[in-house]
Amino acid sequence: MVSPAVSLDHLTKRFAGHLAVDGLSLQVPPGTIFGLLGPNGAGKSTSIRMLMHIHVPDEGTVRLFGEDGNGRDHSARIGYLPEERGLYPKMRVLDVLVFLAQMKGVERRKARTLALQWLERLGLSDWRMRKVNELSKGMQQKVQVISTLLHEPDLLVLDEPFSGLDPVNAQVLKDTVLDLRKKGKTILLSTHIMEQAEQLCDGVCIIARGRKLVDGTLAEVKRTHGGRHVHVAFDGAAGDAERLFADPRLVKKKESTGQYAEVELAPGADAQDILKGLVSSGARLAKFELAEPSLNKIFVDLVGPEAATAAAHPEVARA
Amino acid sequence: MHKVFAIIRREFVERVRQRWFWIMALLGPVFFGAVFLLPSLLMGKSSLKHIAIVDGSTTGIGKAVALQLDTTRVRSVLVAPGPHVADSLLQAVGAKQLDGFLLVSDLLPDSGQAEYRASNVSSFTTIGELESALQRVASGVRLQREGVNPAAIARARIHVDLKTTKISGGKTTGESAAQSFSLAYFMGIILYMAILLYGINVMSSVLEEKTTRIVEVLVSSVKPFQLMLGKVIGVGAVSLFQFLIWGLAGRWVFRYRHALGADAPGADAGLFTMPHVTLDTAVVFLCYFIGGFMLYSAMFAAVGAMSSNEQEARQAQQPVSMLLVLSFISMFAMLNDPGSTFAVTLSLIPFTSPIAMPVRWAAGNLPVSQVVLSLAILAASIVAITWVAARIYRVGILMTGKRPNPKELLRWIRTA
Repeated sequence: MVSPAVSLDHLTKRFAGHLAVDGLSLQVPPGTIFGLLGPNGAGKSTSIRMLMHIHVPDEGTVRLFGEDGNGRDHSARIGYLPEERGLYPKMRVLDVLVFLAQMKGVERRKARTLALQWLERLGLSDWRMRKVNELSKGMQQKVQVISTLLHEPDLLVLDEPFSGLDPVNAQVLKDTVLDLRKKGKTILLSTHIMEQAEQLCDGVCIIARGRKLVDGTLAEVKRTHGGRHVHVAFDGAAGDAERLFADPRLVKKKESTGQYAEVELAPGADAQDILKGLVSSGARLAKFELAEPSLNKIFVDLVGPEAATAAAHPEVARA
Repeated sequence: MHKVFAIIRREFVERVRQRWFWIMALLGPVFFGAVFLLPSLLMGKSSLKHIAIVDGSTTGIGKAVALQLDTTRVRSVLVAPGPHVADSLLQAVGAKQLDGFLLVSDLLPDSGQAEYRASNVSSFTTIGELESALQRVASGVRLQREGVNPAAIARARIHVDLKTTKISGGKTTGESAAQSFSLAYFMGIILYMAILLYGINVMSSVLEEKTTRIVEVLVSSVKPFQLMLGKVIGVGAVSLFQFLIWGLAGRWVFRYRHALGADAPGADAGLFTMPHVTLDTAVVFLCYFIGGFMLYSAMFAAVGAMSSNEQEARQAQQPVSMLLVLSFISMFAMLNDPGSTFAVTLSLIPFTSPIAMPVRWAAGNLPVSQVVLSLAILAASIVAITWVAARIYRVGILMTGKRPNPKELLRWIRTA
């Protein structure tokens, strides 16, 4: 069996009595895109920082590439994009990239060659001798992305990678991430935007209040936590739909807006029974679809009210 | 080690590229040159003075004074006293035809009184020359009155000339005292300024990485201690480079001081004569600069790490700067008596010794054992302070929000 690229075992971190991460365990298979999902303040960044050894875990262990050692020990093989970004504002673009690559153990001359290639690829060649603070915000974001990828890491750790990115750069990053997976690299990213996770991720882990709620491949999570859903759209007459949807033997939950309804089937119920019932009650149907639940729905169902109450970045407030 | 070197390199290159480094590099020698050369230029270039001597005496004292002044840089004409003489002379001075006029009368030998009116009465060389000429005339007349014959007085005059030689002999020792004083003084100023300036540079550098959050990327690749070490060494190297530039410029100024006019007559009258820096003095200076810089920059790094913006840092660095200011102020008392218990104590305490010991060294002969002891204490303190500072640094660089209070700081040091 291939050993996971990232393996966290019961990671725990406290900040001044507040439990930021509580016994988090997860495994990221190599060559996949893995999403660490959760509301603000759930402990995503703290978990990632422990993985990178920016925070030392109070308990638990980190293993990477099947070997002992944290993110700093393996830093040459990891590209890390922190949530809060920044570069040296007064340094020249090329110098920043070379320096940051050197921090990852790349030799100076090689770093220079790689940096020039990347700048060329992202259309920043003409800016290489300019100071970082002379660049537009979008360009700075590109430089930051380059600095994360320059040393050709096997594992990318991206903390809220799309936050603050303009649409162009968000697409650049998305394409890059998909391209890297094709090359067999592993990507661990955190986000609170479920649509992105759904588009990109092979596996997910949802956490809230520092605790893991669910993890697995996207398909697994949807199968085990999503239930079965039917989307119904009416063409004028709804017939006896309301009475039908209220039957607990058939329907567990429903959301309807008159002409449109999303229905979660009760355990053991057959969607075909609902279809028959609707047709025989005289409803005219524009659409009847067996649907997968969206990740967003699973997320809201699981996290529920916590999503709203969790404080944003408690470690900052309590530092 | 490869990474630490990259950090050192970045700190060095980025600083040397900045405009202010070269401004400092250029202004430093200009500033020092001005301090050394200006007094000599002002004094040495004093031109001939033209004065009138209004002789109100009955015994030709004015003529005698004029005779004495012939050997000096003061040229004089004799004027007979009259009702409007003073007015016309005043006008001549006003029109800059004359520098001033001297009023002598029989009072000079009687009670030593004379008067000099001039547009500039603060030129010490002119006043000094006038005074000594008057002195000689007055005493000559008085000796004659006591019955000493003119031949004896002539011999006495030769004696007076010998006495002048003696004075310049005294000046030789005085000159070297002035030299060692100015050396001590300038070493103190340079040490104070450089440690403060470059220490604060370390602080800003820490703060920059913290506020731009780039520190997160850095400490996921290098140990915080390596980062701090690279920073301190890098900034320290910049300051040594600055000294090298200053040193070379200083040598150049020293070598061409003749061409620059520093050796004009009367030039060595200044207090700040160009000091001669010996090799062992340079070594002591560098040892204490490096030691002092390491000690203070570790503290400044910790201050930078515990602050979250420039304003906070400026406030938090005050206690650290105060330690430096304290040693700088004490320098003046130490120069007065470099062997006092006060001076010895300060040169052993690690926070003050980086300034105190080089100052004492330059001011007077110092037992080597004291220097060794002081350096040993300094080295031990650097290790201890760096250990504490590194712990504050390690926790602080990742913290945002309010500055820690002393209790929290202690917890950082304990748990980091």
